[in-house]
Amino acid sequence: MTSDSRGRLFGKNVLEATFRATPDEDLFLGELLVGVDEATGRRYLFRVVDVTYGTEHREPGWAERVAGTLLADDARRDPGAHPLHEQARRTYRVATCRCLGYLAPPAVPGAAPSEFRKPKSLPTQFSRVVSPEPDDFAFLASRMGDLPIGRIRSGETVVDFTVGIPGASLATHVGIFATTGMGKSNLMRVLAAGVMQCNGRYGLLIVDPHGEYRAALQRHPWSAQALRTYAARSLPNATGLRISLGELTVDDLRTAYEWSRPQEEALFELERHYGVEGLSWLLEFSQIEDLPGFRDIELGNRVALNTLQVVHRRARRIVGLQCIATDPNVSVGGAVVRDLLAGKVVLIDVSGLGSTEEVLVASYLTRRVIEEWQSAYLEEPERHEVMPVVAVVLEEAQRVLGANKDRESNVFPRLAREGRKFKVGLCAVTQQPKLLDDELLSQFNTFFVLGLADEKDRNILRSSAKQDLSALGPEIQTLMPGECLVANLAAPFAVPAKVDLYDDLVRSVVPPPAPRPEAAPNVSALVD
Amino acid sequence: MEATTIDHAASRLAAILNGAGGLLGDAVNHSDLVFEPAVDLHPLSRAAASPAEVWAVDGGQALVADARCLQVVVTRAARVCWRNGVSVLEEEGDLHAHVLGCGEERAAIAARGLPIGPDTAIDLNLLRDWAEWQAVERCLADADPGSLVLIDGDLQPDWRIPSVHLAGLLERAASGGLTMAGVTKHSSLHRGGAPLLGLLERQAEATLGARAMWWTKVATTRPDAGPGLQVLVARLDPDARFSFRVDLPEGTDPEGALGAISAVADDAAFPGYPYPLSVADRLAACPSWLREEVWSELDESFDRLGVPLDVRERAFTDRHRLMERA
Repeated sequence: MTSDSRGRLFGKNVLEATFRATPDEDLFLGELLVGVDEATGRRYLFRVVDVTYGTEHREPGWAERVAGTLLADDARRDPGAHPLHEQARRTYRVATCRCLGYLAPPAVPGAAPSEFRKPKSLPTQFSRVVSPEPDDFAFLASRMGDLPIGRIRSGETVVDFTVGIPGASLATHVGIFATTGMGKSNLMRVLAAGVMQCNGRYGLLIVDPHGEYRAALQRHPWSAQALRTYAARSLPNATGLRISLGELTVDDLRTAYEWSRPQEEALFELERHYGVEGLSWLLEFSQIEDLPGFRDIELGNRVALNTLQVVHRRARRIVGLQCIATDPNVSVGGAVVRDLLAGKVVLIDVSGLGSTEEVLVASYLTRRVIEEWQSAYLEEPERHEVMPVVAVVLEEAQRVLGANKDRESNVFPRLAREGRKFKVGLCAVTQQPKLLDDELLSQFNTFFVLGLADEKDRNILRSSAKQDLSALGPEIQTLMPGECLVANLAAPFAVPAKVDLYDDLVRSVVPPPAPRPEAAPNVSALVD
Repeated sequence: MEATTIDHAASRLAAILNGAGGLLGDAVNHSDLVFEPAVDLHPLSRAAASPAEVWAVDGGQALVADARCLQVVVTRAARVCWRNGVSVLEEEGDLHAHVLGCGEERAAIAARGLPIGPDTAIDLNLLRDWAEWQAVERCLADADPGSLVLIDGDLQPDWRIPSVHLAGLLERAASGGLTMAGVTKHSSLHRGGAPLLGLLERQAEATLGARAMWWTKVATTRPDAGPGLQVLVARLDPDARFSFRVDLPEGTDPEGALGAISAVADDAAFPGYPYPLSVADRLAACPSWLREEVWSELDESFDRLGVPLDVRERAFTDRHRLMERA
């Protein structure tokens, strides 16, 4: 056995492997290892999913008895009174691994193996298990795309190999799942940084309810040309967020607020009554003083008074929002779409707004984006062909993608189902994936799974991920902040990664090239 | 109460186990021991350092095939050399196969060099025991002066092995500065029928304390029964669950020898039992997979030698088991 051997394979099947290691071999959940099959020249890539104790002694209770003796020594403050002689030989560790696939031997001897195949055969029993070499990941290089997020992580070791996703996969929806403090925001910033540096190939519409991205993203060296910030309140380096009532729709209201059936009927009744485009009628309605009279006379008593009162109260709140404009000519919708068409990161800072109003804004902007891209797809395919892939980033996505949400009016489920063909995706960020609708979650082709403590959350992801996460529950449970699993269709397995720290990234990013200087007009030449 | 009922058996056992007195004896070896008139418990001190070299010998046996009139058995004897805290030699010992029954066992006398008469009865115990004593002989040859040679079981070979053989070994050990000791895990010593070691353990706990290490001399061998041995019982670790019978050559300082054995009886897995012996025990064991392997080798040989399958099955099938299954 050579010095770098981590163990010897002894059991299981094509998809699983167990190997024996010395009792002091430090094996980590999620660690990537290689089974070297000398007979076939294949290198099997394994992921450690469990590590247990083993002993040469077969008597039942042997290990418990030893532990009991040692514990009694401790209790007497006499540790070492009973050594376990030759422990290295009598005990060992057993690692259970998932076989991720194998690297076929290179066609040219000595070259790096480049072809990775799914596991379909059994490695030779007792093959050596070693730590991976850089060449073992070379096959991944072409699959890591142009949006880097960090480096490969093997257990607790970070391997100098970039992990990322193809920007095009933004259209097939991205989910970012983690409990608080596990690094969702950092990951989102890193993704945004990647988009900024892609020279307009992709666009990102980030609706930021907590105002946590603005300062960070504006520090990025490429922000001057690739970031546009809109804010619902007065903030430096941000354009005011103004949305015209006329551009909002009843569906936006239905997405943002919980409405009872009679309340929805009331909304339709009011829309019919005013007969104007969008929600511009909301202003007039909000100004009504005599609601009972309006109900009796204008609505013909068809709406219950208390129902109308609820709608009226909400109308007054919406009209009073700083970001809502009654003037139909004042709206940022068009500008946001233009920025996205230019391949920018558009940050909508809605901090200060309530949760429902934030959804109202997100719903409107998402609808605008999807309409623009859909229209181009249907009417101007050549223009659509060169339009950037864009994604709408939504925090606390469970609010609009839950199973009980009205799919008919809600733009987000529609985006999840239809967006990909228009090159518009959803980037859902949530702490509680279990609250997302199963069917919608299955539309997400890329998962970033960070630490998740709740088993139900892990279970829902296992059943929806595009890679097999079934054995990775303990690993997900034990992920540290900044550690994640990336599961998408590009990589042949869920890739463990350590996400770059955004602040480090910003420090290391090379600024964009200076604009090409324009030559001074040669007037004499023009004259000639 | 009828003498064959379970109640009767229980009451007899209760009378024996609860009985406080009675004569000392050995249920297996009735006649070779002279028991001490009084059994006094002495505190035992562990040697400050374990002996530089400890040898351990244990034997293993297995019945591979049983046609009742004919049996195929295997034996082996394992040796371990424990030096400065590490096993430097672990020898499983060669596996010897024997055919027993209908006089076939006689072949073993010549094959294994048994120092017994041609008419002596031969069985599996004798063959295993002889293998062990041969291994002991090799240990004596290989051991450095001052070493401890531990043997699983008592120091009295099977009764069919002439006592002069043991005498020769003890002499060689003494002249080489070696200490031989036999450690018996499950002893047949008794007092009035009650297992003696259990009685002594209870007595020691009451008089010396729960964590005391102790020893006592129980018997010596009869002068005319072979080389002189002393039979001791000792608890070799403060946390030992059991005490063991330890046989030493006559003239060996019991406290010194037991203290040295105690120094290697500190393993956390089984405090109080010499660790090198437990390694030898593991090596010598003949587990079921080994029996199956030997049987398949036999089967291959039968194929080669033209023994029809039907003949083998009729000879060696365990009919008891088959009928119980039916």
